[in-house]
Amino acid sequence: MKILIIEDEVKLSEAIVEYLDGEGHLCEVAYNYEDSVEKIELYPYDCLVVDINLPDGSGLDLIRLVKKKSITGGIIVVSARNSLDNRIEGLEIGADHYLTKPFHLAELNAHLKSIHRRISFNGSNELVLNEIKLIPDEHRAFVHDQELVLTKKEYELLLFFISNKNKVITKAGLAEHLWGDHMDSADSYDFIYTHIKNLRRELLKKGCRDYIRTIYGLGYKFDVI
Amino acid sequence: MRLLTKTTLNLLSISLFIYLFGIIAFYYTLRIQVDSNVNKEMDKRKYSIIRQMEEAHSSVAHPPNRNEMVMVTPVENDWLKDQYMDTLIYNKEEQRYQLYRQLGFHEKVNNQNYYIQIFKSLDETDSLIIRIIATMTVLIILLIIALLVVNRYSSRLVWGAFYDTVDKINHYDLNTHEDFSLQESDVREFEDLNRGLKAMTERIKNDYLNLKEYTENASHEIQTPLAIINSKLELLLQSGEMSEKQYKALADAYEASIRLSKYNSTLILLAKIENKQFPESKKVSPEAILEQLLENLDDLIRTKKIEVIRKIMPHVTLRMNPYLAEILIVNLVKNAVRHNVKGGKLIIELDPGMLKISNSGPETALDDNLLFKRFFKSSASPESLGLGLAIVQKICALYGFEVSYQFFDGLHCMRVRFDNKLERV
Repeated sequence: MKILIIEDEVKLSEAIVEYLDGEGHLCEVAYNYEDSVEKIELYPYDCLVVDINLPDGSGLDLIRLVKKKSITGGIIVVSARNSLDNRIEGLEIGADHYLTKPFHLAELNAHLKSIHRRISFNGSNELVLNEIKLIPDEHRAFVHDQELVLTKKEYELLLFFISNKNKVITKAGLAEHLWGDHMDSADSYDFIYTHIKNLRRELLKKGCRDYIRTIYGLGYKFDVI
Repeated sequence: MRLLTKTTLNLLSISLFIYLFGIIAFYYTLRIQVDSNVNKEMDKRKYSIIRQMEEAHSSVAHPPNRNEMVMVTPVENDWLKDQYMDTLIYNKEEQRYQLYRQLGFHEKVNNQNYYIQIFKSLDETDSLIIRIIATMTVLIILLIIALLVVNRYSSRLVWGAFYDTVDKINHYDLNTHEDFSLQESDVREFEDLNRGLKAMTERIKNDYLNLKEYTENASHEIQTPLAIINSKLELLLQSGEMSEKQYKALADAYEASIRLSKYNSTLILLAKIENKQFPESKKVSPEAILEQLLENLDDLIRTKKIEVIRKIMPHVTLRMNPYLAEILIVNLVKNAVRHNVKGGKLIIELDPGMLKISNSGPETALDDNLLFKRFFKSSASPESLGLGLAIVQKICALYGFEVSYQFFDGLHCMRVRFDNKLERV
């Protein structure tokens, strides 16, 4: 997937590119409005990661520009402004997701994956990783074609793991993905532990290899190498 | 009370007062006038009666008309002064007492003392006075009504600009970026008021925009470096195997930076609520928010084996900002779950007047003076930000809700009273 990352903060932009590296994406970066317009006019991108506050313009205008060209790709808005107006406006003019800075790279990656699935399989998609198969539209998961009995949260956890395979995912990142802002991270760590325990048990029961590794004090890793 | 009503009432009471006294004074003036006229007439009669009596040698004089009576009584005693007075005489024909003016005097005719009384009916003059007063009353009432109507009408015209201004002030919203334009008036006082108001709103608007810009900039400036820290730390985690010690240090740094960004965004949220930067207001259903939230907190509730008791009245709606409504309810319920004990209770009561959330917890009451302060934390959960209830209080203050804490029967209970004020927001 060809992704254009529009973010004026060079260091943040670097971090995003580095994280997405090895995910099979082709990442390009632009640091200001003008360069972005040029790049969007010249090349077709599958996905745009747009910061709203650019030194010489608004990311919202870039979204409008892209939408005018009726490009089918996805758009993820990244903004330090956690104002509802901006969020609503961003989503209204055609962004797929809205992330507030600071965000977890794993979260961004999961959103990119879901956009990738949407544009490459026209929605009717299956996500296959070795013996695991997921049907995201139906929220169903299979191992060796046997359906897993998972709660909603456990399913989301599995999808998040697979989207971020081979990455260390922090507990805070997991908590935010599963519960949003609703729970303070400290509260939710115990539940993450419980959910992961249940998920792992269910996977093993259906004959799946044990991919989930615990990283001391930090989080987890879905290790498929 | 409206100014117009007040001035009208003042006008009305004063004019009624004046009218009442005026009418009494008028009556007596008329009365005195009439009496003196009658007295003069009776004086004239007196001489004609004396003349008649001298000519006719003490024969009784007949009254010339039915409104007059003359009584002549021979008396022994002495000379007395003339006496005018009012008296009532029973009228047999009409079977009622009638008012008469009486003149009593003594006269010596042919060496005989007579006491002579002339009675003159006041019936006609009386009814004349009453008719005059009735006519005046009607006239004055008509005059007052006309005055009120004219006053009301002209007030509408004159005060129109003023009411327009008041209306505009009431509906003025800094967030809408609308121009504050006021209706022009040819009354100088109102023009002064409008000019003052315009200058004031302009000043407030500028201050407000500066403040808003500052909070947004602060948020932006702090969140971006934080985003860099977080993402770099996350990247560092992917960099390969590390020693446990290194992971631990990394984990602590990551946690701390996430907490910092949560503090930051929460403080910004507080500032935004204080600045009333959540103008949007619509019907929200607390019930729906509660259901969604309980589902989300299901893990937590089940792990702690908390018994949830719902006394939720259906179809309760609030008119407020949906985002703030969610934050309000989430914070209250989250606290009640977090500070709960294993196997404890969570009671959620909702009716159109209030939301009450009670939970079991430590057996001691909390200090409700400190409870709503920023950064107040119970020792049990050092990880919490200590800003949840400060936010709850700010939101309640914004909408005129009343939030209170009670410790009763082992239950910590937070109650938010929704007032009828909320329809105005």
